[in-house]
Amino acid sequence: MEVLNARSALLSNHEVLTLLRELDSDHLARTKTALRIKKEEDSSGNVIGRGGHDPTTDDVSENLRTVEVEAIQYLSADYQPTISQTPAGITKLVKELAPFELTKAEKLQVVNLAPTEPVELYVIVEELEDRLGGRMEDILSVVRASLVSPHPTTTIAATEQEAHEDAGGAPQIFLEEEQKWDDDDEGSRGGEAEELVYPHEDLFDDTGEGVGVEGDLDMEED
Amino acid sequence: MAVHPSHFGIPTEQALISEINKKYANRVLHDVGLCICVFDLVEAGEGKVRYGDGFLWYKVVFRMVVFRPFASEVILAKVKSSDEDGIRLSVGFFDDMYIPIPYLPQPSAFDPNERAHFWLPDSEATTTHELLDSPTSSRMYIDQNEVVRIRVEADEFYDDEPGPPKAAEGVQVRRELRRAPFSIICSMAEQGLGPIPWWKSAEAEEAMDEG
Repeated sequence: MEVLNARSALLSNHEVLTLLRELDSDHLARTKTALRIKKEEDSSGNVIGRGGHDPTTDDVSENLRTVEVEAIQYLSADYQPTISQTPAGITKLVKELAPFELTKAEKLQVVNLAPTEPVELYVIVEELEDRLGGRMEDILSVVRASLVSPHPTTTIAATEQEAHEDAGGAPQIFLEEEQKWDDDDEGSRGGEAEELVYPHEDLFDDTGEGVGVEGDLDMEED
Repeated sequence: MAVHPSHFGIPTEQALISEINKKYANRVLHDVGLCICVFDLVEAGEGKVRYGDGFLWYKVVFRMVVFRPFASEVILAKVKSSDEDGIRLSVGFFDDMYIPIPYLPQPSAFDPNERAHFWLPDSEATTTHELLDSPTSSRMYIDQNEVVRIRVEADEFYDDEPGPPKAAEGVQVRRELRRAPFSIICSMAEQGLGPIPWWKSAEAEEAMDEG
């Protein structure tokens, strides 16, 4: 197994939350299906024989469920702005941050922390006074405008709603600064390395519908 | 990546993603970070049967969502515990985050009764003794479960690979205390960092005047 690129793209908290919620609702749907099938089998008194076990009802790895649930909890906490954000709001926010000449890392943090007060902006942007002087308030109001009040319930209903929003189940991809890193890994047979498929190629996100505004951000260095 | 015959019925993509998640989710990849879940498959070769087992082997290139905040990134976390050496933080799915004493807002001290550190802003006290003499009302405590804003200073990966057994007359030497494979050092020693309420202004709801 070989790591091709330890940091191929940055994801915002919101994107990760969306992705995890989809995963979550998938698992729940599968569990329901499994229960339904089981009930049918039981009640008809006749077990539908399968070769081995039914892979669609396979146990999803415990580890995955654990990290997924905990990450969702962290990201949807009410002290985080993540639940008050929408994909469209974030795209707009990033566009509007363009004239301020912030680095990728700074834009990512603005999206993730959604500062609404100057002191918050101070910790994110270096040399705030020199670079932005009187325009701090502009940034803050742009951030405020991108936030909406969170959904009243963050139950499955909301999750499914979001899944629909994301055009056919695939996460919307923003090639902007984000908090989590993407990795490329190559799974090879039994662990032997060699046979490099893609040495150091910049893997572009190619799952289609990216509302990724600045696709070339990946090329820049901070 | 190996797919078991019982999984042949489901779409390859799904089977592969499931296997990858099984292998990497919630595990630390050395020098990369904490793997969360698969992001997408970039490419998968044709499944080939390997002699000796019934599995279908695929060569897969995929992208993974990984947790690894970059240096100087500011994030939110919760205080998990405190002791004389500093504060330990957690983000739920990951809790090997530490703030050593030098990265606490200065001046500060550890109150052994409260089991919490406190900050004495605007104090000229320099010794712990003086600090512990201060009136409790002027102390800004950092309590357990408090939500704090912190800056990531550095991270460390520890490779837990068992080395060659240091055999002394056939007896294996016990390895030292297990260390976390991935830990993050953070700081709250700046204006704006630390417990959220410290920096919340009175009129947080209305439009702000510049400070």
